[in-house]
Amino acid sequence: MNAPTTALTRLEGIVGPGHLVTQSAELAGYEVDGLRPAAAVVPGSPDEVAGVVCFSASEKLAVIPVGGRSKLCIGAPPQRYDVAIDLTRLNRVLAYDPGDLTLGVEAGIRFRDLDGVLAAKRQFLPLAPAFADDATIGGILAANSSTPLRHAYGPARDYVLGMEFVTGEGTRAKSGGHVVKNVTGYDLHKLMIGALGTLGVVTRVNFRTFPLPRTQTTFVAAYARRENALGLCRTIAKSPLQPRLVEVLDPQAVRILSESEGGAEQPRLPAGQWLVVVTAAGEERVVERHAADLARMAQATHAAGFAALTDNENKSLLGRIREFPKHVLGFSPAATIFRISVLPTQMPALLERAQQVTDRNQIAAAALVRASGLVFLALAPPALDDSTLARLAQTATELIHASSSSDIGGRPIIEWCPTELKRQVNVWGPARDDLALMQRVKKAFDPQGVLAPGRFLGGI
Amino acid sequence: MNKEIIGALKQILGEDAVLWRPEDLLLYEYDGSVELARPDGVVFPRSTRDVVEIVRAANRYGVPLVGRGAGTGLSGGALAPQGGIVLVFSRMNRILEVDYENQRAVVQPGVVNWELTRAVEHAGLYFAPDPSSQKACTIGGNVAENAGGPHTLAYGVTSHHVTGLELVLPDGDVIRVGGKTFEPTGYDLTRLLVGSEGTLAIVTEITVRLLPQPEAVKTLLAVYDAVDDATETVVEITARGITPAACEMLDGWTLRVVEDYIHAGFPTDSVAVLLIEVEGLREAVEAQAEEISEVCRLHRARELRVARDARERDLLWKGRKNAFGAIGRVSPSYYVQDGVIPRTKLSVTLQRITEIGQKFGFQIGNIFHAGDGNLHPIILFDQRNQAEFERAAAAASAIMRLCVEMGGALTGEHGIGMEKNEMMPLLFSEADLDLMKRVHSAFNPAGRLNPGKLFPSGKGCGEIRARPLPVAASSQA
Repeated sequence: MNAPTTALTRLEGIVGPGHLVTQSAELAGYEVDGLRPAAAVVPGSPDEVAGVVCFSASEKLAVIPVGGRSKLCIGAPPQRYDVAIDLTRLNRVLAYDPGDLTLGVEAGIRFRDLDGVLAAKRQFLPLAPAFADDATIGGILAANSSTPLRHAYGPARDYVLGMEFVTGEGTRAKSGGHVVKNVTGYDLHKLMIGALGTLGVVTRVNFRTFPLPRTQTTFVAAYARRENALGLCRTIAKSPLQPRLVEVLDPQAVRILSESEGGAEQPRLPAGQWLVVVTAAGEERVVERHAADLARMAQATHAAGFAALTDNENKSLLGRIREFPKHVLGFSPAATIFRISVLPTQMPALLERAQQVTDRNQIAAAALVRASGLVFLALAPPALDDSTLARLAQTATELIHASSSSDIGGRPIIEWCPTELKRQVNVWGPARDDLALMQRVKKAFDPQGVLAPGRFLGGI
Repeated sequence: MNKEIIGALKQILGEDAVLWRPEDLLLYEYDGSVELARPDGVVFPRSTRDVVEIVRAANRYGVPLVGRGAGTGLSGGALAPQGGIVLVFSRMNRILEVDYENQRAVVQPGVVNWELTRAVEHAGLYFAPDPSSQKACTIGGNVAENAGGPHTLAYGVTSHHVTGLELVLPDGDVIRVGGKTFEPTGYDLTRLLVGSEGTLAIVTEITVRLLPQPEAVKTLLAVYDAVDDATETVVEITARGITPAACEMLDGWTLRVVEDYIHAGFPTDSVAVLLIEVEGLREAVEAQAEEISEVCRLHRARELRVARDARERDLLWKGRKNAFGAIGRVSPSYYVQDGVIPRTKLSVTLQRITEIGQKFGFQIGNIFHAGDGNLHPIILFDQRNQAEFERAAAAASAIMRLCVEMGGALTGEHGIGMEKNEMMPLLFSEADLDLMKRVHSAFNPAGRLNPGKLFPSGKGCGEIRARPLPVAASSQA
């Protein structure tokens, strides 16, 4: 916007002096896909958030809610962007009942800080987002950040109990509640998860919390061949074992994680191999049972090696797996990461086709697999020049086509990529027949298109 | 109702798939709730195509449409308070696909919950949602109400197990949302639709997740001489971070009624029993059972029994799942409530419910999912006596207000329906309800799908009509 001074004064009137950012240098930190807002506001209460959205709606300004600003490059480039609503002052724990395992927090609280509060009561949330030091709860949910712990605890939508938010008209509303079982009214808060702030500015989230396991051990099985590594995952899925997570790293992903910051201090991961990482948790005898069964399964699937990690190794490896996107972004200036939801039986075919595509286009690629149904495919060329960009665009187009083909049936999106690529490839993948319904839902929450216009799929 | 639409429906579906005579409609004027409402016609579609044609015919004649599975619902979800056509899904009862490798099934809405488990158990799989009515209720009904059951404590309600749906929208369009994969692209419409009580679309196909059967199961019965000892046991099990697969409580009155009928082995001189089940890996089951036993003894359980085999286990569960039938033997009518409270407030809430019973002059039995704070107080009354019915409704309303006051919710698994729609303002502001209404209109603009449900009518109706609690009230707990 060509910010008229009066508009800025009005915004400052809503959030109070000192909570309006207009300095160009500071605003650079709020850029989304190269678009810089005219102002950022840092409201101190949900009512102030509502005031800002209400004012923006009346002035036809576009707003984007932000938290730790670690995931602003997710989504399509915004069509318009005038005001950033920075939620980091809304950072309190509002209600925590450890005995009931329920929690209510403001959306701007940092994951790290909240994790500390919960750990003091030996509890946790199964979110394990990339950029964990910066990420806020609101941002993690808006981006529906993937977590390896989904394997045992399900997706965030299963343990988010309720939310409060501000709609595109600046109205405060809520849905759900604060109890672990509740079917009262429409579960609007579930729509907010993964909506990238296009339906509402979330101000409060209620969660079900979980007890920290008494002990946990991570096992790593190394394989020369992809089929065998995925074979172990299938064997585990059919067994009575209940691991916390099952992840697969291809040799290139192992290399990226090994070379990442802090990786060098740790014992080297076996190079040139496929690794299956399995964490078991609970009572000691439960972990021992996993150890025995997994060792047998690894042998039966022709693993070249099988080992239990020490506590330190465990922490380091799981941390690096969680930060996989961050490490890929550090490794390649043109990092492009696909997130493909796919059935376990289709994973081998998907990875095979992906390798053909990346080999043909001479693009370095790495794969991280969540065994229950998600593949992260990272394209990591060493430079971002015009010819690389052209090959990236070609590769991305082919990968979207291949992974969503009827024989593989995957749901691909590009979660991270250079802004330049977004002009050539639709990061949301192919549209489906429920797009019109989604557009109608968007209109119900945000009739004027005030909230993050254009960032979501289908131009929403 | 216009005779023409009945004629049109007969043309679409054939004579044997349309009911319209008053005597035939009687069966469809009630469900598991205490409400009554007679439809104008009942149809039995065989396919999605049939549903589309029915929707189009209803649109031509401007009549409401209400979906119905087995009619076991407890909030009036399958009734037609504004008349119109009831679609009964008993002929759309095929399991279309079982994907054993990926642990998914695709079913039509009329498939009975229990039948799906029976069809896949040979492969070591099962469908987790287990409402007490699971041998009769349909998966379509489970989806509409987001049904629960005892084992939702560990495995979650229906929505945790649905990955995709085929819908017929009110304009007759057929749309798919979600799919077999875990993550949808875009807004999670599947999750919105599950539990929307048939007010947004008619579901014609459901893709569900199947779970591997646990390797070991242990069922414990803990017997108490004081209600508080039982509730404190639940509080401590929760606080210690143990998640049993199920944790059910029966109070003394209820367990005596059940024992008289089922002979499940509940000691009739006790004041409360807990039925606790742990399952999973053998070693985990042993560890959990040991710790739970310790907690039970710590809280003065006078006796602790472990089911020795499947027969004993089934008998204990029979006592739990057939409790409503048992209660039907001792009272002309009963009114099952469904409210949720924080688990730390079980003792005080049960005490207050007893007081409500005394105040209104009713016996109130309690048999419920203690582990997730999902209460089911049962009010015994005689529906033939209008004054008594009204008093029972007033007692029900008082119990719901109590749940809200405790920081809880109006329903944990039965749905709002036409039972509690007037109470919605207890929990939700006008802005909250207005937004839900807008989402409703985004799918169902003419309001022809299951009208009169979920939203307050705004008309008011005596005692049942609720007003929001003053904020201060919630701090009294």
